[in-house]
Amino acid sequence: MKSLTIQNLSKTYFDPYAGANVTAVHDISLHVKQGEFVSIVGPSGCGKTTMLNMLAGFIPPSGGSIMIDDKPVKGPGADRGVVFQTFALFPWKTVLENVGFGPRMRGLPKAECDRIAREFLSLVGLEHAADRYPNELSGGMQQRVGVVRALANNPDVLLMDEPFASVDAQTRMTLQEELTRIWQERRPTILFITHDVAESVFLSDRVVVLSKGRVSEDMPIALERPRVWEHLIEDDTFKALSAQVLHKVRSA
Amino acid sequence: MKLLQHIWSIYLRSTARFPALRSFVPFIPLLIAWTLVTELAVFPRVFLPGPVDVVNAFGALTYKGVLTQYLEDSVVRLAVGATFGIALGIPLGVLVGLSDRVRQAVWPLLLFFQAIGDIAWLPILLVWFGFSLTTMTLVIVYTILFPIVLNTSLGVRSVSTDLHRAALSLGASKLRVIWEVVLPGALPNIMTGLRNGLGYGWRALIATEIIVGTSGIGFMMFDARRAGSVVEILLGMVVLGTLWYVVDSWVLAPIERATGKRWGLVTQ
Repeated sequence: MKSLTIQNLSKTYFDPYAGANVTAVHDISLHVKQGEFVSIVGPSGCGKTTMLNMLAGFIPPSGGSIMIDDKPVKGPGADRGVVFQTFALFPWKTVLENVGFGPRMRGLPKAECDRIAREFLSLVGLEHAADRYPNELSGGMQQRVGVVRALANNPDVLLMDEPFASVDAQTRMTLQEELTRIWQERRPTILFITHDVAESVFLSDRVVVLSKGRVSEDMPIALERPRVWEHLIEDDTFKALSAQVLHKVRSA
Repeated sequence: MKLLQHIWSIYLRSTARFPALRSFVPFIPLLIAWTLVTELAVFPRVFLPGPVDVVNAFGALTYKGVLTQYLEDSVVRLAVGATFGIALGIPLGVLVGLSDRVRQAVWPLLLFFQAIGDIAWLPILLVWFGFSLTTMTLVIVYTILFPIVLNTSLGVRSVSTDLHRAALSLGASKLRVIWEVVLPGALPNIMTGLRNGLGYGWRALIATEIIVGTSGIGFMMFDARRAGSVVEILLGMVVLGTLWYVVDSWVLAPIERATGKRWGLVTQ
């Protein structure tokens, strides 16, 4: 796992219907330390997804630089694992083949890929679903597979784009707790995009509020770990921090 | 009422036991109606022979080896044409689906040539290649090509961007993405293209055989018209329908069940 450094990142694109240039991301600079969990929060349209797409290498930035340690990012690559809001599991591959996809692309023999895939599936208690197809799983199970598929490829940085936005409220809490547990065990560097204030505070070491394509707040979250919803939901520090972030997001 | 219920229960039990029966049952009323019309002599027998006559003709022609030979000729022609059509059509469809530039360059041509229907090419093909296998193969390839290219490119474009991105960020090369993501994602549409293409190709083949006229089921039917043998024409029609039914339910449908439906890409 490595650190992620963003310097003066910007994205401007031409909107042919408006006939004008639109700036989605203005001059963002941000550093995520090795093993740190940072969330980006902001209202819809604040540029957070555009930013993640640039970090993942899916779209080129208009200006600035993105570095993994001291290696510049050029296009998509296996050094940055991505977890999608839509899960983006391959429907024609079994759960095992989905999780083993990254190792297989690295050219590892099939037995080794399967072993890695099973090891990561057991991390989220899904060994029993190895031979099922994604459409046979619930939304929560699908996203568990999405998370371990990215982790199984041993990326330097994990980028998560509103991964829990499309599962129900109960499952979301469970997934958030599982994610903090996995993060504590394996200490990946995570940049987590969300519009959910409580989620960002619950998960992160630091919450960055984005507004109109700029960083409007960068707030450390000094809460004890492991974090459990049943405790935090009544915790005064948690409530105060959430209120603070919420205030920043709404005034953004 | 009691009798109907009884028949219904026999039907349900026997089809549960032999699922293949289910495909024959819908033909029973048709056969009964056909027999009635011929037995009541609504039309002269020479114009409309009954099912029994057709079965007899089937027996006689099979015995002489004519039917099997003609059937083999037709099927081989379709298979040769389909092989070339698929080998050309799927790569072209993937290219058109993936690249905006290729699509812009090729799309108007595709639409233009698609409009010149298969047998509209026959006159010039006959001038160039005569009454040969080349002519027939070209017509079939031409017919099969368009549905496959158009449906494949549609399927390729329907694969979600996130799946491309997921594969790339897991370390897949662009070529690998085509094999692992684009082709399986486009498979339901490719199957639709194949089904349409083979259906059109089969029809084009019969039309071509009627015109080129050396052998085959189409030739048999047209030749029978000259000899005034309506029974052989009807036999040809029955063979065409049966053969397509077999191809569809024994080859195409099982592939679809094992892929798109299993993966949840198409609703059951």
